[in-house]
Amino acid sequence: MVPHAQSEPHIEVHKFHPGVVAGAVFLALVLEVFLPRLLPRGAEYVELPFLVTLYFGLSRRNPITGLLLGMIIGLLQDGLTGRLIGLFGLAKTVVGFGASSIGGRIDVDHPLARLVLTGLFYLIHEGVLEVARRLLLGEAGAFLTIHLLLAMLLNALLAVLFFPALDRLRRT
Amino acid sequence: MLPITSRHRPLVVLAATMLVQVLLLAVQIKRDQDVRLIRVWAVHLITPVQDVASWTWAKLAGAWQGYVALRGTYRENQALQQENQQLKLRLAQLEARAAEAERLAALLDFRHNYPDYPMVFARVIGASADRGTRILFVARGASDGLAKAMPVITPDGVVGRVEQVFAGTAQVLLLTDKESGVGAMLENSRTQGVIRGSGAPTLTLEYIVNEQPVAVGERVLTSGQDQIFPKGLPIGTVLHAEPGTELRSPFQKIVVRPSARLDRLEEVIVLLAREEMVPAEPRAALPAEARPARPPQ
Repeated sequence: MVPHAQSEPHIEVHKFHPGVVAGAVFLALVLEVFLPRLLPRGAEYVELPFLVTLYFGLSRRNPITGLLLGMIIGLLQDGLTGRLIGLFGLAKTVVGFGASSIGGRIDVDHPLARLVLTGLFYLIHEGVLEVARRLLLGEAGAFLTIHLLLAMLLNALLAVLFFPALDRLRRT
Repeated sequence: MLPITSRHRPLVVLAATMLVQVLLLAVQIKRDQDVRLIRVWAVHLITPVQDVASWTWAKLAGAWQGYVALRGTYRENQALQQENQQLKLRLAQLEARAAEAERLAALLDFRHNYPDYPMVFARVIGASADRGTRILFVARGASDGLAKAMPVITPDGVVGRVEQVFAGTAQVLLLTDKESGVGAMLENSRTQGVIRGSGAPTLTLEYIVNEQPVAVGERVLTSGQDQIFPKGLPIGTVLHAEPGTELRSPFQKIVVRPSARLDRLEEVIVLLAREEMVPAEPRAALPAEARPARPPQ
């Protein structure tokens, strides 16, 4: 992959085999649907498609690729819900774009950076969903809840734990 | 001009993709139509693996309960280990089979009670990818005769309705989903209302006037007015009822606990018809409408 024009020259752009990206997306979607059967209470806090979108956005650091990947993941996730198609698509498009834009400017491989960025982008992801639900569907609800904060924390911890495993799949 | 375009290309693509998706949403809302193509792709991509994963997990869980978890005992008691393990493995297998047989027997019993009523049994293989929605995936689809809006039940009560149908799988919208609504009535007074989900484990019964006495524990049945569910299927029991307070509402706030265990469904029944269910024998668990009705109060 060619580094984005706005990327800092010292920031490394990572490459992945297309099969790795497709496999990770596929696995995340399968687990997202399957986990609620295994862990009915815990699974509701985990957003694996979001984590995959964020990881490849931060790593590949090309905003167009990031947002397109986010859109595809989001639309597929929408297809597995009973809701309108496009809600997760919108949220993950924003996450993919934001992550790849930031990934091209700062070093995002440090665990602390990953923890903070995952939490931040989770809030953005949920914020976009909330705005879309309010403006397009007319659904109103509380946004900043304990549930949201717990989910943000859990996903941030999962990112710190599992992103290094995905790092090993980078092309050398 | 060219450098500016190149510099802003990501923003232009972002704006374009966002616009396309907003339009996609707007079209769905305006025309009340689904983007079936994307849903079909996603479901066809995921559910075959999900089906295999579900089966594999059930086998692994059985093996774990019956064998792996007993390895500590093996080390502590070397002499009796093999016999003990084999017996416990056998016991675990038998217990798992007994539990499964019990579930299947209930389904079969239900089938025998309504021999002429068209229905299919379906295995639950997954849940929604969105925690805000309450849906299930079942391993039956159009090839098994399923169609949109068909009622889904268990011998205990109503589960929901078929929301989307694909070749070999289907999405079931649970009673507890925010979009769910079922025509309902109180068993004793036959007063009719609407059961709605809220995303929570309980349901609400709406449009029951404040003057109508509602007893905690009273059963709520389908009324048949929604043209989806046959009349008389158990929906749940009243947990709590109080007069409406919002803006002097004339309707009560009634909380209902679902009869079916919606959080641990493994097999469900999809009714392929909408006519009233008349049991062949009086011992039927469902529907309550077919039993000797209590006099209206």
